Amino acid sequence: MWRLARRKRNAVSLKPTLPMVTMSYGVLMLAAVISIVPFLYILSTSVKDTNSLFSYPPEWIPDELFWGNYAKLLQETSFLNWTLNTFMIGLAITVLKLVIDAMAAYSLAKLQFAGKRFVSATLLLAVAIPVAALIIPLFFLVRSMGLLNTYWALILPALANPLGIFLLRSFIVSLPDDLIHSARLDGAGELRIFAQIILPLISSGLVVHAIFTFMLQYTNFLWPLVAIQSDSRQVLTVGISSLKSNFVVDWGLISAASLLATIPITLLFLALQRFFLAQSLSSALKG
Amino acid sequence: MNDTTVSATEHRRLRRWLVLRRNLTAYLFLAPALVFFGTFLVWPGLSLFVQTFQTGGVMSPAVFVGTENWERTFADPLVLKTIWNTLRYCLMAIPAVFVIAMIFALALNSISVGQTAFKTMIYYPTLQPILIAALMFTFVLHQDFGVLNIVMRAIAGEPVNFLGNEDLAMPTIAMVEVWKGMGFWALLFLAGIQNLPKDLYHAAELDGAGPVRRFFQLTLPLLKPTFFFSVTFATIVNLQVFDSIFILTDGGPFHSTASTTWYIYRSLFTFSEPGYGATLSFVLVLVVLVLTAIQSYAFRDRR
Repeated sequence: MWRLARRKRNAVSLKPTLPMVTMSYGVLMLAAVISIVPFLYILSTSVKDTNSLFSYPPEWIPDELFWGNYAKLLQETSFLNWTLNTFMIGLAITVLKLVIDAMAAYSLAKLQFAGKRFVSATLLLAVAIPVAALIIPLFFLVRSMGLLNTYWALILPALANPLGIFLLRSFIVSLPDDLIHSARLDGAGELRIFAQIILPLISSGLVVHAIFTFMLQYTNFLWPLVAIQSDSRQVLTVGISSLKSNFVVDWGLISAASLLATIPITLLFLALQRFFLAQSLSSALKG
Repeated sequence: MNDTTVSATEHRRLRRWLVLRRNLTAYLFLAPALVFFGTFLVWPGLSLFVQTFQTGGVMSPAVFVGTENWERTFADPLVLKTIWNTLRYCLMAIPAVFVIAMIFALALNSISVGQTAFKTMIYYPTLQPILIAALMFTFVLHQDFGVLNIVMRAIAGEPVNFLGNEDLAMPTIAMVEVWKGMGFWALLFLAGIQNLPKDLYHAAELDGAGPVRRFFQLTLPLLKPTFFFSVTFATIVNLQVFDSIFILTDGGPFHSTASTTWYIYRSLFTFSEPGYGATLSFVLVLVVLVLTAIQSYAFRDRR
């Protein structure tokens, strides 16, 4: 009897059947093609003279590589400036935000204080406010501070987003309270508990938060478009879009710019892949 | 603690001091976050409301005009059109990206060899800013050299003007979001699926439920919390659609892709009417809040 039940249990192992696996590979193959082919096509476009772009049928691999688009991009546009600005501003925001959000998250997760529910509820409600709706008052606020067209115009407003606090709070809440109590009994102040006990224990949460913050900044478009006017202070997204505003669009230049822009973020992705792929997603759910 | 050594009044004073200290510590930890939150989110939110009753402000000081902006908003057919366009975009992009992502997630879940390689490739478009994704789509859609149109020319004999056609333009904009978002949602759903309890699936299979039934009667209902997060998040983000429209169509043709955020941006920078733009922004906030509330209601626990 027992043996029968056991055999039956083995029989229904949830291993997908062969046709299912075959179909899955088919679907994923198609998914990979759809995801990657546009990148290969702009790579091919970027090493072609723009005139030969219009020949039909198209040449996927040009006979002769043409580097003129890249040379023009690096010499005649502020592409390097845009890249540097994007990464500097992104880094500044990420570092500042980590400190600010971790402190707030510790307070909300482990400290008792009057008005805690009100503060949490207000911050949580603000998550649902569409940022795009605030660009007009934000424009006037930043202008009145005299910060329009400066890096501060991009850095300071980014620190207001409360989403990261909830992400980090979900990491801190799961830490045992005894840890903090015993440290307090040993005479450690709250700042020391925070810096020497809490922060090291949520290091993976901090990495996830850092990636999220940086990516949000890196992909930002509307606010830099509004807040920054000078070309040399612009970020990548707006800078590249400005290449399209010329009367005659230089497609070779745009393809070179789009492709070159993907390289730094690809390197970052490959270095921190496991955080991008697995942990960031499941922890985003908790928050 | 030895209570006898401390008198009642002293005890109370000590207690009050401790509570005060505790509150002070907590608020000091919160202070930096609250300062930025107050300055760059709450304050602009409040001034947004005030600005809906003002006009001017870009070159000359703003002046109060009462409810003029609001009256204009209700009389302006383009406002209704941009709201409808934005909703239409969400209704096309979000269900499409979720269904495709779910298919990818199920496919990833049933293979073991090469899973990481496929995950990496599918996730790759997600890394790109939506603006770059949209720019790359020009190379897919362009009438002369777009990949898709090269295919269309081979099949149908002539290219399709995806962005110049009133009926096709918005679905095409939605396609950018689907392409960029499918990897993100696929991996999110996959994480959700892999966290589900395995015993239930064994039980279901013992009861003779096939893979299709298991998916619709177990996986989907169990993933409800994941879906709630995903739908809410995707709605808030996509109701603000701007980047892809700005770069691909600039609201055209005939305002068929004009989104609310596009109109807000135009009223500030092209028409120099921040008061009117603020009113439109306020409408956008209301649309987002109402839809978020409806979604929380729809996904509430019915136990």
